[in-house]
Amino acid sequence: MSAPARPAAPPVRVRPERGRWRATLRLLLSSPPSLFAVLVLLAVVVVALFDEQIAPTGFNEVDVSDRLQPPGAGHWFGTDDLGRDVLSRVVLGAKVSLQVGTVAVGFSLVVGVLAGLLAGFYGRWIDAVLMRLMDVLFAFPAILLAIAVIAVLGPGTTNAMIAIGITYTPVFARVTRAAVLGVREQVFVRASRSVGASDARLLLRHVLPNALPPIIVQTSVSLAFAVLAEAALSFVGLGTQPPAPSWGRMLSEGRGYIDLAWWIAVFPGLAIVVLVLAFNLLGDGLRDVLDPQQRSALEAARHRPGRRRRAEVRR
Amino acid sequence: MSGFALRRAAQSLVVLLGVSLAVFALVHLVPGDPVRLALGTRFDQATYDALRERAGLDQPLPAQYLQWIGGAVRGDLGVSFRSGEPVTALILERLPATLSLALGSIVVALLIAVPLGTASALRPRSAVDGLGTVVSQIGISVPEFWMGIMLILLFAGTLGWFPAGGYVPFARDPAGWLHSLVLPAVTTGLVSGSVLTRFTRSSVLEALSAEHVRTARAKGLGPRAVLSWHVLRNAMLPLVTVTGVQLAYLLSGVVVVEIVFAWPGLGQLALQAVEARDYPLLQGAVLLFAVVFLLLNLGVDLLYGRLDPRIAA
Amino acid sequence: MRRRTLLSTLALSPVVVAGCTTGEGVDTGDGTGAEAGAGGGFVAAISAQPDQLDPHKTTAYASFQILENVYDTLVVPAEDLSMQPSLATSWTTSPDGLSWTFTLAEGVTFHDGSPFTADSVVFSFKRIIDQQLANASRFATVADVVAQDPTHVVLTLTSPTPNLLSRIGGFKGMAILPAGVDEATLATKAVGTGPFVLDSVSAGEVELTRFDQHWGERATLPGLSFQFITEPAAALTALQSDQVQWTDNVPPQQVEQLAGDDSVELGQVASVDYWYLAMNCAKAPFSDRDVRRAIATALDRQAITEAARFATARPNQTAIPEDSAWYYDYAPFTTDPDAAKALLEGAGVAGPLTMGLMVTSEYPETVTAAQVIASQLEPLGITVQIQTEDFATWLDRQSRGDFDAFLLGWLGNIDPADFYEDQHRTGGANNYQKYSSPVTDDLLDRAAVEPVEAARKALYDQAAKQIVDDVSYVYLYNPDAVQAWAPGLRGYTIRPDKAIDFDEVTLPA
Repeated sequence: MSAPARPAAPPVRVRPERGRWRATLRLLLSSPPSLFAVLVLLAVVVVALFDEQIAPTGFNEVDVSDRLQPPGAGHWFGTDDLGRDVLSRVVLGAKVSLQVGTVAVGFSLVVGVLAGLLAGFYGRWIDAVLMRLMDVLFAFPAILLAIAVIAVLGPGTTNAMIAIGITYTPVFARVTRAAVLGVREQVFVRASRSVGASDARLLLRHVLPNALPPIIVQTSVSLAFAVLAEAALSFVGLGTQPPAPSWGRMLSEGRGYIDLAWWIAVFPGLAIVVLVLAFNLLGDGLRDVLDPQQRSALEAARHRPGRRRRAEVRR
Repeated sequence: MSGFALRRAAQSLVVLLGVSLAVFALVHLVPGDPVRLALGTRFDQATYDALRERAGLDQPLPAQYLQWIGGAVRGDLGVSFRSGEPVTALILERLPATLSLALGSIVVALLIAVPLGTASALRPRSAVDGLGTVVSQIGISVPEFWMGIMLILLFAGTLGWFPAGGYVPFARDPAGWLHSLVLPAVTTGLVSGSVLTRFTRSSVLEALSAEHVRTARAKGLGPRAVLSWHVLRNAMLPLVTVTGVQLAYLLSGVVVVEIVFAWPGLGQLALQAVEARDYPLLQGAVLLFAVVFLLLNLGVDLLYGRLDPRIAA
Repeated sequence: MRRRTLLSTLALSPVVVAGCTTGEGVDTGDGTGAEAGAGGGFVAAISAQPDQLDPHKTTAYASFQILENVYDTLVVPAEDLSMQPSLATSWTTSPDGLSWTFTLAEGVTFHDGSPFTADSVVFSFKRIIDQQLANASRFATVADVVAQDPTHVVLTLTSPTPNLLSRIGGFKGMAILPAGVDEATLATKAVGTGPFVLDSVSAGEVELTRFDQHWGERATLPGLSFQFITEPAAALTALQSDQVQWTDNVPPQQVEQLAGDDSVELGQVASVDYWYLAMNCAKAPFSDRDVRRAIATALDRQAITEAARFATARPNQTAIPEDSAWYYDYAPFTTDPDAAKALLEGAGVAGPLTMGLMVTSEYPETVTAAQVIASQLEPLGITVQIQTEDFATWLDRQSRGDFDAFLLGWLGNIDPADFYEDQHRTGGANNYQKYSSPVTDDLLDRAAVEPVEAARKALYDQAAKQIVDDVSYVYLYNPDAVQAWAPGLRGYTIRPDKAIDFDEVTLPA
């Protein structure tokens, strides 16, 4: 990945109006992978909202006499080692995955964007301190950092959210800071400043909205990683605790039965893949329509290879 | 060394300092007395006192930090709260397994990424390109541990070609080492390979669009000839550096894969340390990962700087 | 001081021995599965790494699996768990039962070349007693240990102790060390009189070599090694590919399948272990006997047993397994949710009730059983909150009484006192649930000093009935010992106390 060949400063953009967002959305949905991603995500959200109505049984309805049943009419996804309906647990697990993902990424988003805004806007020592702090967090392999945080806080769903949230904070700080640097010196910002707008107003009304596109893209990509991270932590026993239906946990429970009952591990795994794939595809689609550099290319050619930022390929 | 390299190295040093402080803080952030927690029912006053003294926990914090970091620089990471053995020895014992896995994974990743990524770039929007896109998109969305379980199901269970887990040291039995390595390396390699495929594709595309290549094509060289002589060379150098970055990420991805394959490496060690509340051991493992990670990133950036003077400017 | 820490796995231990925890901490998954053994071509795969190898301090089953082959005790349980001579060749008891004289074997040498004498016994027992080490409570009635001459040791007691032999010889936690041994090194070095010498200890394996000056029959194998393989699948693969020759890490769900598999030989025998649910008798509403009885009535033990152990355990409403001479056939509870509900209402527990149930990932079967229990108690309006803790935290909370209920097991019990005394006597060392009944206390006290075996059994039967009726523990099941080894391996016997002796093993040709 070489340095960008294009001019460093993005084109001047005024705050997008409503019509602009609508056009962006239309452009997004005109791409089949993005449309697919949006539909999948809508479906998962609906499933998570109405999980109790959709799931045939509760999440811990044990029936030992009915254990390890293969997929069939009675149990579409089969039953696990305790005779619980795997389909129900997959359905009920959607809420856990989405919750952990959104809360963790919400944490990263708020803390990271705030740090990035401050660092980018004020520069100097604030920038130096905040960004070195982010560099330190960024220097740990992601899962290991989450594990270390849990070593301090203890296992559990809430602590997994915090751990994952901390882990993905630096990415948001970097992305935001870069975007802020791009708009800080632009005409409208300088103009507002010269007429005496307060810093807070400036940040919220002018700088943040213009920094939004990369943040939105990063949010989608981070949601994918957060879902994976939650699954990984639960898989090793540090995340969601039994009997709550977490997909990662179901995988680790199904592992011991892999040659007796493949379905216990296969279906929750597929659920993870589908959800993560949807977030990744949506991230790609959003980048294509929101990133101004890519966007012009897209509008011209409809398709161009994307260049990934290193931060985004991190797992 | 250029100014850029110096600046970059100095920056890494600052970050390293921060990393060491964060890792050091770990044991002090734990609510309660970490030695007591680690000993649990094995508590007895003599062991307890010895461990506390060895860990220097009774001294003021700055002195503790200096003692710890001083030891770390010399390769002494303290002793395990659980076994009383030196942390460094415990880590070194696990290193070969993790290195085997990381290297095996990179090989698998490159075997997938280079052919697939290059083919995709040569024929954008062709069937091959479509396949490459789908494979890499799915590849980055699949949890490694699930991939591992599926591979075990198929190749260890149904087909019985490879063991379901366990590590054979190379020194003991090279063939057995390779045999035991295949499934875990393919598991992590598939995921890294997906990322690298995307990258190879865009590097090759970029190289194809470069001035001299366009010239070569204008002179009548076919795409294949152009590919071999001009493009690959230019595309592969950045690829090598990204592979370095991937190696760093791999170190993190192996944590969970080691659990799936009962692979006695550093990831497993770190998890055991968490569960046993063996904080010196956890600190040592985390510090090592972070240092390797930093060094690889530094190396990659320096290499970029050499390859592309615009960065170093 | 940890007295038998509970449960865990221990093995061999009689009296409560239970104590062993298989090593604290987490799963040591050292799956060094595929290494060829170094010592003598015989490799045993055990599922956990020993926490330490000091026989008087460890409570981990993993440690005792190794120490069994390295140390000796004065007396030793036979396969039928009757106590037999070992380092002591014979013994006599004074008429009042307060003085036991042991005659020691002669010509026995320790691994360091020093001779075994009465001083060794005095040193070892006093070390346990004076330093209050893991098994000190086994010497609770021992007033003094005296060397009468080099080959005779006298134990004087404060009260008659009919089960003294199992107390001092039930497992290697009462191993005999040479007087004046360097105690600081015992965690990683061993100086015993057993058939094998501890050679090397590393994170992945422990190696033993034959002790050629062993006082008994010389071991058939020149050496052996123990490897730690946490993953059952990896242990089985290693066994099937002949990288290891023995393992006890056999997943219960595979037993049926393995029984028909020629590539391994499977051993299965009823063990002396039991698993149970305990509720905090010092905490409302579980302090109410009827609430505990309601829960005991609501549970379906058969389902719990099958879920946790497939076909490798039998439900039991008391502690002592059916095959034991001390078995007492008593099963007052039949699964009846309606009766359970009536009991709860009678106890005045109207609204929904939340019960924290502490389990540990160290013993995955507790996590499994807890989920079944949660599902069985739900119809009663009891919400079970499963609290999965690492074992160190688990033990800590247990000893502080910081729980509503917990699940665990006791292993390696031999004498009935092992099963009941420390767990159910008021103030007993392992009575973490704070059960207190004058009736039970009286029965246990009388049984402890009753020299006539039939009378002793009758007293323990009554105590067991009282304990079950009061629901001090909800007993769940007795698991089998399940081990697998290479076909053609000879000279190994699977035992109910899960002691593993490899000194007569010969490898398949």
